[in-house]
Amino acid sequence: MLRFAVHTLRLISLLFVVVCLVGRPIIAQVPAPDEATYRIAKQLNCPTCAGRNLADCPTETCAQWKAEIKAQLDMGKSAQEVLDYFQARFGPTVLQEPPKTGVTAPLWAAPVGAALVFLLAAGAVMLRAARHNPLTDVAAADPAEDPFVSALEEEVRRNG
Amino acid sequence: MVDEPSVARQTSRVHGIGGKPLIVAGILLGIVAIAGVFAIALNLVSQQGARPKPGSPAPDFTLALYPGYRAGLPEQIRLSDLRGQVVVMNFWASWCVECYKEADALEAVYRKYKDRGVIFLGIDYLDTEAPALAYLKQYDVTYPNGLDVQQRIARAYRITGVPETFFIDRNGVVREVIIAPLTEAQLIAKIEALLAE
Repeated sequence: MLRFAVHTLRLISLLFVVVCLVGRPIIAQVPAPDEATYRIAKQLNCPTCAGRNLADCPTETCAQWKAEIKAQLDMGKSAQEVLDYFQARFGPTVLQEPPKTGVTAPLWAAPVGAALVFLLAAGAVMLRAARHNPLTDVAAADPAEDPFVSALEEEVRRNG
Repeated sequence: MVDEPSVARQTSRVHGIGGKPLIVAGILLGIVAIAGVFAIALNLVSQQGARPKPGSPAPDFTLALYPGYRAGLPEQIRLSDLRGQVVVMNFWASWCVECYKEADALEAVYRKYKDRGVIFLGIDYLDTEAPALAYLKQYDVTYPNGLDVQQRIARAYRITGVPETFFIDRNGVVREVIIAPLTEAQLIAKIEALLAE
């Protein structure tokens, strides 16, 4: 049984190595996508399917948009000019990262604000805890003035 | 006997659990911040308004027409300038498969009614120029067409996709919305009904 398991494991390992060695050249033979087009498409949204990146979307609309990006790059436009063209034509929602101005500014500021509030609150709590260290508080406190200690001592005396 | 609540209170004090109000304040501030973000989002959504229902005035807009697809109109047209004519407003896109099905019908009916006080407007939605112009050429479209820049018209009319066709009467009132490809017979029936008024 153990020998069978070892043989199977060896066979799987061998297959894995073969797939890795043979598979790499096969993958390399697939024509590489136009890098410049891909990089710009990565910064845009698919116009018809919510939340999907243009670069990874296989729909007809996205194919047209990618062709438009390539055509504009071929005309000599820079990546920023292409992005500006799409934003002017289809609005800021077309960008994966909408501009951090106008109505979207609070959405960008909210997480930073929340983090600041959290840090301030956490800092204040830690500071307060450090000031009221139970060990130092107890040591520094006058037992005669502490009603808890007085009550405890009274109880001990009574049961004593 | 030691008073238990008193001991509990004292124990709390000794162990320094005095930061609770600050934590509560932090949580409240967080809730307020999240509520603020939601309020902004809701405001943005409500600004878009509702789809114009049949019987309500058609939202006005300007449309820059594609060169070669102006049918004698100026480069920029305003819907309100077309008052007095029946307007058939069709949202389409070159990537829209369903739009192909009605392209011939729209053009044929436009040619039939263009001299009878009926105007067709093609509103190109989320399209790039080259495929859009190729589409218009392929279907021999001659009625006015232009790109809906930044989807402003689509948002005003709250379209859900393409094709969508709005029938607007001579007084600038939306009379019917069709969310499907139209046939010649359907177009003729709806236009005749509006012309008969």
